Amino acid sequence: MKLKTFTLSIAFLLTAVSAFAQKNINATSEDSLNNNLSKSATTIGGYGNAFYQRNNNLGTSSIDLQRFVIFTGHKFNDQISVFSELEVEDAKVTGGESGGEVSIEQAYLKFNLNPNQYLVAGLIIPRIGILNENHLPNTFNGNERNYVETFIIPTTWRELGVGLFGNINGLPLNYSAGIMNGLSSATFEHGAGLESGKFEGKNATANNLAITASLQYYQGNFKAQVSGYYGGTVGVSKRKADSLGLASGIFAAPVALAEGDIQYESHGFALRALATFVSIPNAASINRAYASNTPQTEFGAYAELGYDLLYNSTRPGKKQFIVFVRDERFNMNATIPSNGVIDGTLNQNHIVAGFTYLPIRNVAIKADVRFIHTGNQNPELVTNPNPVALPYQVNNNLVDLGVAFSF
Amino acid sequence: MAVSSGLLVGSLASCGTGLAVYKTDTAGNQVKVPATLFANNDFQVIQPQNMYYNIGLKKEKDGTYTALLLRCTHADNQLTPTGNGFKCTLHGSTFDNEGQVTAGPAERPLKKYRTEVISDQIVIHLS
Repeated sequence: MKLKTFTLSIAFLLTAVSAFAQKNINATSEDSLNNNLSKSATTIGGYGNAFYQRNNNLGTSSIDLQRFVIFTGHKFNDQISVFSELEVEDAKVTGGESGGEVSIEQAYLKFNLNPNQYLVAGLIIPRIGILNENHLPNTFNGNERNYVETFIIPTTWRELGVGLFGNINGLPLNYSAGIMNGLSSATFEHGAGLESGKFEGKNATANNLAITASLQYYQGNFKAQVSGYYGGTVGVSKRKADSLGLASGIFAAPVALAEGDIQYESHGFALRALATFVSIPNAASINRAYASNTPQTEFGAYAELGYDLLYNSTRPGKKQFIVFVRDERFNMNATIPSNGVIDGTLNQNHIVAGFTYLPIRNVAIKADVRFIHTGNQNPELVTNPNPVALPYQVNNNLVDLGVAFSF
Repeated sequence: MAVSSGLLVGSLASCGTGLAVYKTDTAGNQVKVPATLFANNDFQVIQPQNMYYNIGLKKEKDGTYTALLLRCTHADNQLTPTGNGFKCTLHGSTFDNEGQVTAGPAERPLKKYRTEVISDQIVIHLS
């Protein structure tokens, strides 16, 4: 199985590279044409957001430059480009102090195969959900990203691999498929979801791999998408896996994720909805090995309705004042294995309402309030209580005010 | 179905989706498209051989044609026709059928090519 999958992966790569090489040879005879389009170019872009947040239960307020990202790309010619995003979270990273992060969010080579298909290779972002691929902060409502695409789909989810993206002539369909390094069950943490298992390009194990695919349907202002992910989480050697009581191999102790979403816009109204489900069938083995209280299943869903109050009073696409409401529901331990401990606080419902004002398309001023309701705290999980901590409250709300931009 | 020197593929024109694709050759920095393609359709995706971007060709009400290079003006990604415009899946920019930006991060409209009609052939000048 391991050898077969590895062989398939190599065959996929070779076929893709072979197709690209073939195209490359053909194109050299068309230099006179391509000279009109193939100007080398370096592109600089970026995005960022900062916001104030008031936590009413804790009585605390904070203000943070949450993200500042510089995007750089270079087009060597019409066929080959390189893209990258360098991200700084929380503005400052100081040695020995917690908080802040500097990371590469994307860094990949892009090979155009033809007008409908391209390959990417490097630190890539798979097409899973809405925000993972399109996460510019002026394109979504609310100062914070929705929690479903934060805790269930760990946006921005990027790993090292190869991806094929394309669309089909004459049909309003886009597709993608990719292979990349898998997650690490060794770093799964209780309450952190799949986020805690990501490598994000840093010394990833490659004994375990993952595959991902998506299909998008476009028609006018309507878009629907389904996507999936399936990958192994055991990157250690077979000897070590045996000693931990874990299976070994490319897809050992797998994580499977399925997602579907729709987006629709009409006459100033914008609707988006998403649902996703995560399965970790060998969670019991992972818990036995790492005592991480890994759940067996997780799910999340949200629906958002927005309306642009300026849609009829100004030219569409210019100034916008969007009022919105969003309902987010997710449970990070929907089911647990026999050796797990249920945590009601990971079963949450959020109602978010507010506005996004865009004086121009790429600049947003946002205000929102997030009403949070969770399940009860499980006393079995409170092993070392802080003597001055407030009792857990199942209801809370956050008030956010911030700015965002992209270019 | 072969049309002139090109090939009409996967046409959904009869459904009114405007997603018909016409594959054709290029010669002398020109692409030629038969005007008959627009008998029942006012939009056509043109796919010139050995180019890495499609061209969106639209018939205007005054009988002229507008040719848009379907290359995002933000990061040069290929664009997907959606029926009423074009979408870049890379960062989410969208453009209308006139090539104007309807959603960022792109800020500039799509590149337009000069067109002319010669003997029932629409000539797109790639320069």
